[in-house]
Amino acid sequence: MLQTMPAPLPSSTTDAASKPILQLVGVRKVFGGFAAVEGIDLDVREGEFLTIVGPSGSGKTTLLRMLAGMDTPSEGNITLHGELINDVPPNKRPTCLVFQSLALFPHKSVGENIAFPLKVKGVDPAARKARALELMKIVRLPDNYHDKNVMKCSGGERQRVALARALAYDPEVLFFDEPLSAIDYKLKKTLEKELKDLHRETGKTFIYITHSLEEAMVMSDRIGVMRAGRLVQVGTPEEIYSAPVDRFVSEFVGEVNTLKMTRGPDGAWSSPDVPGRFVLGRPKDGAALSEAFVVVRPEYMRFLGPSESADNRLEGTVYNEYSLGSRIQYQVRVGEKVMLVELSRARALSPGADPNVVIGWDAADAFTLGG
Amino acid sequence: MSDRAKRRSNAFIWSWTAFVLVVVYLPIVCGALASFNKSRYFGFPIKVYSTEWWQKTLDSIEIGMLVRNSILIALLVTAISVVIATFGALAFARYDWRGRRLYQKLILLPIFFPQPVLGLALLLSFSALGIQTSWMTAVFAHLVWIVPVVTLVIAIQVYGFDPSLEEAAFDLGCSRLQVFREVTLPLLWPGIWSGMLFAFLLSWSNFPLSLYTAGADSTIPKWLYAKMVAGYTPMVPALGTMATLGAASLLLAGGVIGMLARRRRLA
Repeated sequence: MLQTMPAPLPSSTTDAASKPILQLVGVRKVFGGFAAVEGIDLDVREGEFLTIVGPSGSGKTTLLRMLAGMDTPSEGNITLHGELINDVPPNKRPTCLVFQSLALFPHKSVGENIAFPLKVKGVDPAARKARALELMKIVRLPDNYHDKNVMKCSGGERQRVALARALAYDPEVLFFDEPLSAIDYKLKKTLEKELKDLHRETGKTFIYITHSLEEAMVMSDRIGVMRAGRLVQVGTPEEIYSAPVDRFVSEFVGEVNTLKMTRGPDGAWSSPDVPGRFVLGRPKDGAALSEAFVVVRPEYMRFLGPSESADNRLEGTVYNEYSLGSRIQYQVRVGEKVMLVELSRARALSPGADPNVVIGWDAADAFTLGG
Repeated sequence: MSDRAKRRSNAFIWSWTAFVLVVVYLPIVCGALASFNKSRYFGFPIKVYSTEWWQKTLDSIEIGMLVRNSILIALLVTAISVVIATFGALAFARYDWRGRRLYQKLILLPIFFPQPVLGLALLLSFSALGIQTSWMTAVFAHLVWIVPVVTLVIAIQVYGFDPSLEEAAFDLGCSRLQVFREVTLPLLWPGIWSGMLFAFLLSWSNFPLSLYTAGADSTIPKWLYAKMVAGYTPMVPALGTMATLGAASLLLAGGVIGMLARRRRLA
């Protein structure tokens, strides 16, 4: 595991008790000299909802294809229940992939799509139909959709058909390759919650791939962040959010204020970008740094009134504000640098307030990252 | 656009379309008219109409043989070319392998060979190999030209279908054979169907390859040519019209069957 810090949350210690169902050791995949996946070690726990998140081209789809058996690792081992499955083809694995395109069979009805894995297994038509109707209930599709042409279903309905079809295969592990990427926002939110419910109800292991951290945060027990073919951090959503291991993860996880810091000869920290002296939190690895980045999430920044204090302060000018719904984000110019401050709507600055403000944060609310 | 201008442009489009249709179909109509001419030699205006030559054509044993030959050759060409072309199209459009680009060019090349040259080359090859030419060598010759066409027709269908459908079927427990039977074949079926129609009709109407490679056996186009050179009777346009009508009804039936199949699938 790449996690070097003791995890601050109890969830990881309870999860550690359940045994890994899938294990990856040093898995690499090279396509003609280019390593799409570069040495992945990962334990997937039985029954967990694990999301692999990363920008496009980070190798997450390649990783998933190796887990599903559609690609073979160039190096390393993938084991399922302790058995090596590197070369086991997809039709011999107790796993099932929900494709990004969903890959519904356009020449089959909703019911035929769902019952397809049963037909392949040789289940008789009556039992197939009964099971298809059962699964349609689970994914909340009305019974009269059984004979409907699958291409006439809406985007959300197709998602449900794909999900039901995967469940009909009765896999131990379900893989998802960004199946919600083409769905509009509101429906996506509904489907995310349904997928999480389904995960709880079925107790199966879910491995989900997305480039959207928001999606990952909502659904996952654990998140793995990938970059350039490597897993840079694996942890609970809370760990990823509040204790990112590096700048890439911190910035990927959401908007942040990042300030470069250098330590002077007197041991005090200052920044080449903004004036003042700063108190830094302890770096994660406790190393003695001479240069560091301090990262503060906008919601941990405050406006300081005349009588208020904080470990660190900056003087600046509010030049923009955005409504984020329940919250408001302010852009504050401090010298050349733009800092973000996010407040709940209830605590918003009053209209016509002096744009010259003092903003600040406490060292405990920031995290310090090396180089 | 003003109403007037719109009316004028519509009128132009209609008259142009009508003109093109007349130019395309008038010769066929002329052929049909010629076959109903009672006199042996063709000349306008036709003085006496009669179905005599149609009757003679239908009664002729020689022509019955020709039609049988043509149908036999076309059916064999259809069956063989569709099998070769289906797998060829998958190799052409789906799978990535060394030499695929070269294969894509080589397979299409015979379409652009002048057919008389291709026929001559095949005839020379057959005689070099000591093979007696007959309707069977004609089947082979037709295949050389028709397989590429059918491959192209089916390849278009292959390009239009998402390879993840096959992967999904494989992932859901199918063997390779089941993937082909359950997913690949049904999805390629519209392309295979049009490929079959193409194969049959191209073989049915092929003249240059049959002329060189059918040996002593004759086909409809070969006979039409031979009778034009020597021994014209209105049986020539009569048989030509029958062959055209046969091809047209096959095409129509094929289209209707394809449409019904699609409609049933989309129900």
